Order: sequence, then C-alpha cells, then structure tokens
Amino acid sequence: MTMGPKKTTADGPEDMNRRRLLSWLSGVGLFGSLIISALSNLIFIKPRATYGQPNRFAIGKPEDFPAGARISLDTRRVCVVREGDKLAAISTTCTHLGCIVSVAETGFACPCHGSHYDQDGFVTSGPAPKALAWYQVTLAPNGDLVVDKDNEVEAGTYLKV
Amino acid sequence: MSTQTAIRSQNSWLALPQNIWRSIFRNPLPDSDYGRSSTSFTNFFLHIHPVKVDRHSLKATYTWGLGLMATFLFLILVVTGILLMFYYVPSTTQAYDRMLDLRGTVAFGIFLRNMHRWAAHGMVAVVFLHMCRVFLTGAYKPPREFNWVIGVFLFLVTLFLSFTGYLLPWDQLAFWAITVGTSIAGYAPLVGKDVRFLLLGDSTVGQEALLRFYVLHVAVLPVVLTALVTIHFWRIRKDGGLAKPEEEEVGAPSPAAQQADSVEAPMTMAVAAGAAGGAVTAALPKRKFGIQGLIRGPLVKVGPLEERTLFSWPNLFQAELLVFVISVAAILVVSLSFNAPLEEPVNVMHPPNPAKAPWYFLGLQEQVSYSAFWGGVGVPTIEVLLLLLVPYIDRKLVGVGKWFAKERLLANTLFMTFAVINVVLVVIGTFFRGANWEFVSPW
Repeated sequence: MTMGPKKTTADGPEDMNRRRLLSWLSGVGLFGSLIISALSNLIFIKPRATYGQPNRFAIGKPEDFPAGARISLDTRRVCVVREGDKLAAISTTCTHLGCIVSVAETGFACPCHGSHYDQDGFVTSGPAPKALAWYQVTLAPNGDLVVDKDNEVEAGTYLKV
Repeated sequence: MSTQTAIRSQNSWLALPQNIWRSIFRNPLPDSDYGRSSTSFTNFFLHIHPVKVDRHSLKATYTWGLGLMATFLFLILVVTGILLMFYYVPSTTQAYDRMLDLRGTVAFGIFLRNMHRWAAHGMVAVVFLHMCRVFLTGAYKPPREFNWVIGVFLFLVTLFLSFTGYLLPWDQLAFWAITVGTSIAGYAPLVGKDVRFLLLGDSTVGQEALLRFYVLHVAVLPVVLTALVTIHFWRIRKDGGLAKPEEEEVGAPSPAAQQADSVEAPMTMAVAAGAAGGAVTAALPKRKFGIQGLIRGPLVKVGPLEERTLFSWPNLFQAELLVFVISVAAILVVSLSFNAPLEEPVNVMHPPNPAKAPWYFLGLQEQVSYSAFWGGVGVPTIEVLLLLLVPYIDRKLVGVGKWFAKERLLANTLFMTFAVINVVLVVIGTFFRGANWEFVSPW
C-alpha cells in the first residue's frame, strides 16, 4: 500500500526527466544543425577569390607622370597626382555612392549626387560623408609604381620619386 | 434495368472520353447550391477559395482587386521571365547583345521583355497600393496581425526582385543604378560592407555581381516570394476571409440592423445548445465558422450568414477572372505601346549624369542626397520597423473593414502622411533632379 504510490511517484518524474532531457538534446541538435547549415551557406556565398580587377596593380614608371600632373586612371579608379618629386594615388570612387568622380578645376566632382572635393580629396560640398581615400604607392624593384587599394594611407602621404 | 443500362454505357468504350473528362473534373458545371459547393471544394485550383464568400469582400470598391492584381502580375512575370530565360546569358560580355537580340531576332522578344518590365513596375506599384488599402481599411487588426507582417516582407521581396532584375540588361542605366543601390546597402552599420560584398561577390559591380543578381532574380527570390504568397493566402482563409466591418463579424445585433432585416434569425442559432438565449447573444464567438466548419461541424448556420454570403461559384470566380483580364489587358496594352528602355552598353568609366536608380528607389536616392546613412539606411529601417509593428501597436478592433473609418482618423492620417512623403520624394527624384542631382524644372 505504501510501496505502490511511492513507486509511481518515483517512476513518473524519472521518466519525465529522461524524456525532457532527450527532447531538449534533440531540440538543441536540430536547431544547432539548422544554424550551422545557415552559417555555412553564408560562408559559401562569400567568395574567397574574386575575379574582378586586382586591388594591387602597377601603373607605370614615375616618368609617365610629369610634375603637376593629375591623371585619372578611370579603369583603376584612381587619380595619380604628382607634385614636384612627390607622387600619390587618390581614389576616384565617390565616398557617397560609388560613382566615379571626375577631375575638375577645383579638385573632384561627382556626377551622381553633386559632391565636390578639393585637390586633396576633402569634401567641399554635397552629400559625400567623407574624404576620398588615398592609397599606398610604392616603387617596385623594376621601377614600376604600384598602387595598393587595400592599403589606405593618410591624406597627404606622398611617395618621393 | 435503367441503372444497369447506365452502368453498361459507362463501361463501354464509347464512354471513354466522357469517363476521362469526369475523372478529371469530378463535378459537372453546377446547377444547384450543392454543386456550387462541391465544385469549389473538389477542384484543386478552386479549393483555395471558400465555398461561400462574404458580399462585403466582393465589393470592388472595398479591395479594388489590388491583392489579386499583384498576384496576377507576378504570374505574368513568372511566365514571361521563364520565356526570357531561354535567350538570356548572365555574362557581362553577352548580356547586352542578348538584349539587342530580343529586340532584333527573337520572335516576340521585345514584346516579352516589355511585358516583363512593365509588369514588374506595375507589381511594385500595385503591392504598395494594396498595402495602403489594407491599412486604410484597418484590415491588419487581430487576428490578421501576422499576415500584415508577411505582407510587409512581400513588399520588400517585390522591391528586391525588381532591383535584382534591373541589373540584368547590363546597360548604363542598370549598371549605375546597381552601383548606387549597392552602395546604399554599404552604409548599413556593422554589416553594411559585408552585405555589399556578399551581394556583389566582388568589390565592384562586375561579372560576379551579374551572376549573383541573376541567381537571386530567377531562383532564390521567386521561391521566397511564392512561399510567402502561399502563407499569405492560407492565412486569409484561416482568418475567416477578408476583414469585414465589426458589426457584421461580431454579430452583436444593432437595433438598426434588426429592424432593417425582419427575416434575420435570432443570433443564438449557432450555440442554441448553450446557455439561455439572451446571455448567449452577447457571448457569441467573434469568428464565424469557416466554410469547412459549416460542412463538417455539428452546427448548421442559417439566417444572417446566408444573407451576407454568396456562393464563390460563380460570384468570386467571375470577379477574379475580371481582375485577371484587366491585369493582362493593361500589361498587353502598355507593352504594345511602350518599349522597355535600353540604354548604351555599360561603360564603367562614365556614369550617366544624373545616374538614377529605378523610379521606386528614387525616393530613397533623394533622401540619400541629403544624408547617405540616414537617408539610405536609418530612415528606411525605421519605416520598415514601424510598418512591421503597426498591427501590434494598433490593436483596437475599431473601424475594421471600412475605408477611412472615423475611429481610425489618427492612424490613417499618420500612414497617409508617410505614404505621401515617400511618393513626393519619388516624384522629386524622378522629375525634378537633373545633372549633378541639382534641382531642375521638368517644364
């Protein structure tokens, strides 16, 4: 008489605990795999190699850019600026929405939303939120100038040639 | 004897065509109410519909058929889109030439492209108008909150589908619109740059972007949209059809209604087995029984329900057919009259001036010209969040199923203000912005 109820009460919770643990575990397993598969999809669609233009490229010899030149390389989306023996590469991609800015008298002007930049790429008017980027320019052993668009440098950083 | 003849004639070879026909269409064209019910009920394509439908939901001036119109435009887009896929190649070197081929050599090529383009524009507009309809009639109130949320997502997916399709011709318009559009995505905090990179598959718009947009456009997004539409429709049925004015749905008999309709049965009929009549009237369930409940359930509803509802066959189906014909006709007329624009092939060096996004994003672009982050990301995010929260903020069951209900003056005014501001921004961006995004007069 005393045993009966005791046994059922002991059996019940134990049973329930096992069931709860199992369902909790399988729930975690299922949702875990769901999250992992979603994440792996994200990893999958993020390309490891891109097929477009390289971000590091040679632009020619220093002699190609005479002093005082501001030459916009549109395919590369940089403007090579030479002042005396100092050389730099300024981005011509508008910081606003990615249009190509054109070289203007006063600096750079964007055709898309009317942003204006001065000679050093600082915003003078328009919706652009920040200055044009300056990229690192180095001299390769063969004498070629190399621009590295993955390497932004402070505005006013020139390479002496 | 006569039944035997009937069986024999059914078994004879001569009856083969008839037997095949009957095996496909289980019901002959209905001539009785029972037939009308079972036609809707047993036909795969019709069983999405209720057997009977509320008169109020059938009123053209209530829905303007906008939801259906959006569906039919999507259908047109799927059909024309699949046909266009036969000739399109998502390659930066070939895509534009294929556009010219559609114009020059492919039979009906230009016509199909026109249909696809104009139906896409139409769908964006109609989905927006549908959303306005649902808001202004208070149709998002409980129990339809989540269907509104799905609707908001449907609107976003529609915009994204349009946007991804925009790049595919690979002309100047496409290229620069996508350059501008994806840059806007880049302004999102934290994830912006990554989203942009994932979307483009590269740091600039190029072959990878074209391929990605193509896959999104022809496979991923249509599947997502179809799934959402399916849930959207299913929930309409489960929520008891379209939203209807409160009095009718709740059935709290207003004195006026009782006087007006003398044959109206006492509202207690459904729960006659319940407590005493008077108390039951007040405690009637809000949801009237679904049609399946009518057929399977233990209770038979008579009286006001009969008065309010019509058989779907033919009333609802005629109405749907009418909307379908109007939608198709409109797209045909527009496609025969106007050619979808195709600009110069892409020149990555020279953006057109001004470079404009597709018209439905010009409001966004106009905002962006004031502040890239707030105009492109901040404000739109807040607007979408507000839209998603609308049915959870405004839950009071007043003014449901009525246009411009007095009780909803505040909500409707707020919504209309937002809607009008956005429309005005689109208009400014479309007509009043010229080179360098400077203000110009279209006249």
